[in-house]
Amino acid sequence: MKKFIVITLVLCICGLMPLFSAGASEKSAKQDMIVYHWWTAGGEKEAVDALFQKFLEYYPDVNIIENPVSGGGGGVMRGQIKTMVMANNSPDTFQLTYGTGMLGSFEEILEPIDELFEDFPLPEMVKEMGRVNGRQVAVPLNIMRNNCLWYNKKLVDKLGIDANFHNFSDFLVACEKVKRAGYTPFVIGAGAGQQHWLAQMTEQMILGAPHGGPEYVSKLYEGKANILQDAAIREMFEFLATLIKKGYINNDYSALTWDQGADVLMTDEGVFYLMGDWAKGHFTAAGWVPKVDFDYTTSPGTEGYFTLHFDGFSLCKNAPHPEITMKWLEFITTAEAETIFCPLKGATPPRLDAPTDMYDAISLDILADFRDPKTVIVQSVFAHPPEEYLGVFGNMLSGFMENPNVEQGIKDYAAAYASIF
Amino acid sequence: MILNRKNKFYIFIFLLPACVLVGLFVYVFLSWSIKVSFTDWNTIGKMGKWCGLDNYKQIFFNDPVFIRAIKQTLILTVLFILITLPLGILTAVLLDFKVRAKRLFRTLYLIPLSFSFVASAIMWSWMYMPNQGVINSVLRTLSLDKLAQPWLTSTDQALFAIVLVYVWQFSGFATLVYYSGISSVPIEILDAARVDGVTVFQKYQRIVLPLQKPATITVLLLLLMYSLRVFDFVWLLTDGGPAYSTEVLANYMYRVTFNYNRFGIGAAISTFMFLLSVLIIIIPVIASYIKKYKGGKK
Repeated sequence: MKKFIVITLVLCICGLMPLFSAGASEKSAKQDMIVYHWWTAGGEKEAVDALFQKFLEYYPDVNIIENPVSGGGGGVMRGQIKTMVMANNSPDTFQLTYGTGMLGSFEEILEPIDELFEDFPLPEMVKEMGRVNGRQVAVPLNIMRNNCLWYNKKLVDKLGIDANFHNFSDFLVACEKVKRAGYTPFVIGAGAGQQHWLAQMTEQMILGAPHGGPEYVSKLYEGKANILQDAAIREMFEFLATLIKKGYINNDYSALTWDQGADVLMTDEGVFYLMGDWAKGHFTAAGWVPKVDFDYTTSPGTEGYFTLHFDGFSLCKNAPHPEITMKWLEFITTAEAETIFCPLKGATPPRLDAPTDMYDAISLDILADFRDPKTVIVQSVFAHPPEEYLGVFGNMLSGFMENPNVEQGIKDYAAAYASIF
Repeated sequence: MILNRKNKFYIFIFLLPACVLVGLFVYVFLSWSIKVSFTDWNTIGKMGKWCGLDNYKQIFFNDPVFIRAIKQTLILTVLFILITLPLGILTAVLLDFKVRAKRLFRTLYLIPLSFSFVASAIMWSWMYMPNQGVINSVLRTLSLDKLAQPWLTSTDQALFAIVLVYVWQFSGFATLVYYSGISSVPIEILDAARVDGVTVFQKYQRIVLPLQKPATITVLLLLLMYSLRVFDFVWLLTDGGPAYSTEVLANYMYRVTFNYNRFGIGAAISTFMFLLSVLIIIIPVIASYIKKYKGGKK
């Protein structure tokens, strides 16, 4: 019996040996690069694959260990990264929304990478968005404009609507016209796990409110707003309540994902859709032609403003392979990388010197606005406030959507705001 | 087996790996989590400082969502068990009758249990869709338009819609346990009852069902353990919404910890969940031991 046990134990130990040796060999492979990102949908997946492929042409001895984690606009991946960091198992680099609040939420685990910004032609405001405590901690890869109001061009032309909405009233007049014609005027897609789109949508409404504007939005995201007193919050709620009460919103908004919301325009049921410029990629992937089947305008009252955030990458503290990761980060700051990635994803490049001849008419409009020195850049809800803002306000606003009582909405908003700041 | 010194040594050796693993991955991490619940850790990558009971005061006195999550977890638990247990008994009794294709029915009842939670959640989310979902479509086809509801997207009924999915997934498990219990009732007792002229109803009411106490305790404990930490369907179907109307403790704990980065508060919620589970589950266990002990003394 004793002999049997001894043999069993020896065999067990021998069986476990390869595991230890595998760990050792992994450590010795210096050219691995562990990357986490959340690009798994059509367009974005092809874009990141093309980017990796080009990087491997320059660095063929690198083994990219890619970990795509979809869900929740990156929320699932960020949760995973946090558990890994807590277990002292940091990746080399991971995708992160480029903006002061989101980067600030991760500041303790990001390495400064100032040297990559020495010859990086970006607007100063964009560089500022990537700084935490005065140090650059991420590089931006593509612009994402948030204050876009997409519309079904054929229906808008058919109904004779001028799609330039200088204020909320202009838009409400158009909505009434659309509703009378039998279409859904304003489409929302904010189903389970996607309530954060409500926070993104109301951000554009606060920005476009008579007492809103870029300065107020910045104040709001820095915890300096007085929610119960500020007119912009009341104006946003009154506008949203009107849209709900007048039946301008699709009744299945809370069962749809953002892309299913975009589909409502493509089935000629809905007319307007307030969503970031990533919706363009969805429309074109489905065969819709920009400026023919669909077009965009700035959301009501936000003309001259550019609400944005970027997809970015950072260098993790305690990254197992920092040298090659810095090469990767340096590579994605190049015009070449942006030119490979952005057209495939349907996005636009942040470098001011990136070539533009491969973009469609809508992307060129967006780029022209971005590069126009008169345009006021506003950090979006994905970038400026702390990470929890989206979740807290998404849930709070889903309650307002069901019970559009302005006074109660303001109180709930104030309570949610106080829970963050 | 005689417990001599040699055998005791072997028993110790064989139990050691399991004890070490359970000790490390359950009790060490549990202790660590409890310790974290007394810190103000709210920044990723930077451990917090000792803050005493602040996190517990925060969740119990300043966090209405947490209180709501407790209530909704308990409502979900009670409804889930109150529906699943009788349904399991009923289907097990029906299976006990001499019915044709008994195996087919048994398999049908068990199929939902074999589904992955993600697949089930996606299927039910399609079924619950307000416009294109099969449930509302059937209701409209039957001219019952008034009964068509925004199942998952209304604060009034989303929680009940989720309870229904849990019942659907787990009733097969209750059926299985009860059917095993009913099948193991000694045939001699049933024969004696038949000779005494009991009716079918009396057979189940007075003989078969009273003998299902062990099965009931098993099902009850397992369903309780599961329902107190429900997460999967809630996260997949509603993510706690709309307006926190389906927020439950596990989902809220995940949200607070990994979305809001409040690790100390998340740990306090998880410690509370642990204590709640221990309290609810340990009471019947202690009660049964006391009863057994008293019975032994007699």
